[in-house]
Amino acid sequence: MAKFLDKLFPRSAILVLVLLTLAAVVGFAVVGHLVTRYNANRQARGRRLYAQGLADLNSGNAGKALEELRAALTSDPSNGQYELSLGRALRDTGRLDEAESYLESLWQRTPEDGTINLALARVAARRGSINDALRYYHNAMYGVWASDADGNRRKAQTELIEFLLQKNALAEARSELVALAASLPPDPVLQLRTAELMLQTHDYGDALAEYERILRVDRGNAAALAGAGETAYRAGRYRTAQDYLQAAVSTNSTDANLADLLASTNAILQANPFARRISDAERNRRLAAAFDDAGQRLTDCAQQRGISLAMVKPAASSLSASPGLASPLASLESRWLATKPELRRLRYEEENDLPDVIMDLVFAIEQQTAQDCGEPQGVNHALLMIARDRDTADE
Amino acid sequence: MKDLTTASAPVTARAEHPVRFRGPRRLFEAFEDVFDEESFFLIVCVFIGIFSGLAVVCFRIAIDWTHLALLGPLPPVHNWRILVVPSVVGLVVAILVVHVFPAIRGSGVNQTKAALYIFNGFIPFRTAIGKFLCAALAIGSGQSLGPEDPSLQIGASLASVLGRQLKLSREKLRLMAPVGAAAGLAAAFNAPISAVLFVIEEVIGRWSAGILGSVVLAAVASVVVERWFLGSEPIFRIPVTAFKRPSELIAYLVLGVVGGVAAVIFAKAIGFLRPRLKAMPRWTQYFQPAIAGLLIGLIGYFGFPQVMGAGYDYMDQAMHGQYVWQLLATLAVLKILATTLSFVSGTPGGMFAPALFVGAMLGGAVGGVERYLFPHLVGSTGTYALVGMGVLFAGFLRAPMTSVFMVLEVSGNYEIIVPVIVANTFAYLVSRSLEPIPIFDLLTRQDGLVLPSLEEEREEAILRVEDAMLSAPAIILSAADYIDAAERRIGNSAQTIFPVRLQPSGWGAITREQIERRFKEGKGEHTIGSLISAQPLPSLYPDLPLDSALRFVQSCPIVPVVNRANPQKLEGIVTSQSVFAKYAPPRRD
Repeated sequence: MAKFLDKLFPRSAILVLVLLTLAAVVGFAVVGHLVTRYNANRQARGRRLYAQGLADLNSGNAGKALEELRAALTSDPSNGQYELSLGRALRDTGRLDEAESYLESLWQRTPEDGTINLALARVAARRGSINDALRYYHNAMYGVWASDADGNRRKAQTELIEFLLQKNALAEARSELVALAASLPPDPVLQLRTAELMLQTHDYGDALAEYERILRVDRGNAAALAGAGETAYRAGRYRTAQDYLQAAVSTNSTDANLADLLASTNAILQANPFARRISDAERNRRLAAAFDDAGQRLTDCAQQRGISLAMVKPAASSLSASPGLASPLASLESRWLATKPELRRLRYEEENDLPDVIMDLVFAIEQQTAQDCGEPQGVNHALLMIARDRDTADE
Repeated sequence: MKDLTTASAPVTARAEHPVRFRGPRRLFEAFEDVFDEESFFLIVCVFIGIFSGLAVVCFRIAIDWTHLALLGPLPPVHNWRILVVPSVVGLVVAILVVHVFPAIRGSGVNQTKAALYIFNGFIPFRTAIGKFLCAALAIGSGQSLGPEDPSLQIGASLASVLGRQLKLSREKLRLMAPVGAAAGLAAAFNAPISAVLFVIEEVIGRWSAGILGSVVLAAVASVVVERWFLGSEPIFRIPVTAFKRPSELIAYLVLGVVGGVAAVIFAKAIGFLRPRLKAMPRWTQYFQPAIAGLLIGLIGYFGFPQVMGAGYDYMDQAMHGQYVWQLLATLAVLKILATTLSFVSGTPGGMFAPALFVGAMLGGAVGGVERYLFPHLVGSTGTYALVGMGVLFAGFLRAPMTSVFMVLEVSGNYEIIVPVIVANTFAYLVSRSLEPIPIFDLLTRQDGLVLPSLEEEREEAILRVEDAMLSAPAIILSAADYIDAAERRIGNSAQTIFPVRLQPSGWGAITREQIERRFKEGKGEHTIGSLISAQPLPSLYPDLPLDSALRFVQSCPIVPVVNRANPQKLEGIVTSQSVFAKYAPPRRD
């Protein structure tokens, strides 16, 4: 055959090139077939190892799982899913540098991918790096998602808010929450979670509004009632809190926390001398009661700390076992003793500043004793809450 | 292509049949004129690239399948297989090497170089087959060797076979080996520029513009084929690398120095052990690869399977910060040991991948230590590992240009070019100062061959025209000068020959005797131009190699050396005496 061809086309350059081309085509076909089989084999092996790796990861065998995931990735290096899973597994086992390295190389290829950005954000969050976490969470929120884009974006934003709360970055968390609330669908679960987060950021106004949005649709939503009650309570809106908490307790009477919160609310409402729509006599009564309760709290606290005060032992006034503590308590005792004779004036004088003077002292005593002897209970707790919310109390 | 053999004599007897245009097809004849040998050769280079690419793709698949079949997909630590497989396969490979493929021992770079300089480009096809089979078996079974050098030799062998079949001229046939080598290496590395540079630095051993085009064409064609089948992903998934502070160059400089020392230790170990093992009785050659395999298996068995095989996956993991610096340093030391054992035992396989492995581990370790000592350093472990690869390449293989481009091509990141250059330069200088002979030269010398190398060329002082140039004569005549005026001008000067400035350009020369004779003949009113040949003398430039003057000094009494910017300005002259004096050996007074 070769001789025949040689005679027909004797060593022609064209013939040589045609033959070389034919040889190359045959080579491509053979190698192509081989590579197809090879790739199929590799991918099958990759899938097998990946499945084993995930199974081992779920069963807590992280070391073996990582080996298998790595081998899966070696078998199919272009498979981003394997790389992502390996990165996540490394992150979850605390090997943050390696995880970041794998995830960043994925990110380089698809910087817009929401999943990869979320994974990187979680690495940054575990490192405590606010700037990186913010960057990757935002990338995830505005990135491309293969499915349920809105849900995944909300999930990323919620995670970011939780991370910011963890880092006590309340202002940043609030601004994220505002954006999140604006894009929420009418889903009570999501609204509840958002309201809870708002409550954690001390954004009581927006949290209460969110709870009320849920209650407008579902008046009996126990979680929303409880949340609204707690939010109103924290906002110092005790009347509102009382309404919501009463409704919440009536729907869920077994919740001890709710009952305590309601009791505290009731105590505040009954002890608050600044409440509107009460008579002067009632106001004076509350002032006097608050004054006495504060005096008693001061005495109890001093005793608890082993300090002798004039109210207990007048001769030993200002003696202290602990000078550091005795000084503010003794000073408050002096003020309390000096103010006590003034209480009589409450009955005779109107439009004077005595109620403010009394309550200033009461608040000072409650705050100081709370600092020295721990959070009070009952009426004293109510007085402390009134003190804290004095400027914001609306009822 | 009028005749494929017109350029020079054919190499083989079969080639003596001239390639003629007597095809019966007019269509063919119409196309034949398009091709001269040069353009035909370039097209053949593309085909060499294609065939080499196909062969290397198959080679890589063969290694992977062998590895999977013999060792499984996961590192078999504490498994008997890791001891038995490299030993048994080592024995099989040894039998094949001793009895069937004796020319495939070692890496293949020197054999390709020898083919170029000694055997007129001849590499038997058996070498390609043997290298393919044995290197795939050896690397797949865990011997600490790489697939790049074998790919280089497979490519060179295929090119040589094709060149012989096409009955190319001797000159072209010689070039086939480096062309195929570049194609094979480019496909193995997925890095065409590095492959071209390496072939120029290590195989050809000289910078030659003539071959560059064909080597590049073959390398690019093979990479295209390789990417076609195996994808365009680089060998490593490069992590994010960064170089931000110039002060960090000091850290990379330290890496360069450490890498240079490690490269010398690596090279010395091979240089010391290889001739001793080769000198052992012939029967021991059957067992040397097996014993090397067993020892490497032991290293793997006791918890370091990373040193087995080419180790690309582990380099990748090192670059992704998976290992602490202590482990990286251990792996670098063990890899030097394992590769030395594999290589000196005569197992076919390459040293590129091991050099990269050692470099990556060493780079990561040095980076880890430096970051431990100086926490403000920002370079990641991956960056140091990447730079480390180039460091060992520069220090061990002594291919500084290739080392820089290899890192850049592999990483696709030009941000780290400065650290790479700094570290590689220091590694190269340290290695060169501690061990003047590069590893490939050492191996060729051990094999009793003397081949040129770029390293030697770097050492050579090149003689230039200016070295032999005499200063311009005091009297320079013009072609328009009259003979009587010239006769008066030359007067009693000692000068016997005078450069003549021709019009409008060029230079000639006239002797005193010629001028005086014409003057006495009463031809004083004639011009100098009428006495001398209209053909100007050849002229030279001061920066040309002195070799270029050799062609003229025998036939011309003087050769003008002119200014490149103004050829009418005479810088000086060279004569046969002044030129030959420069080539004379130094006198021993």
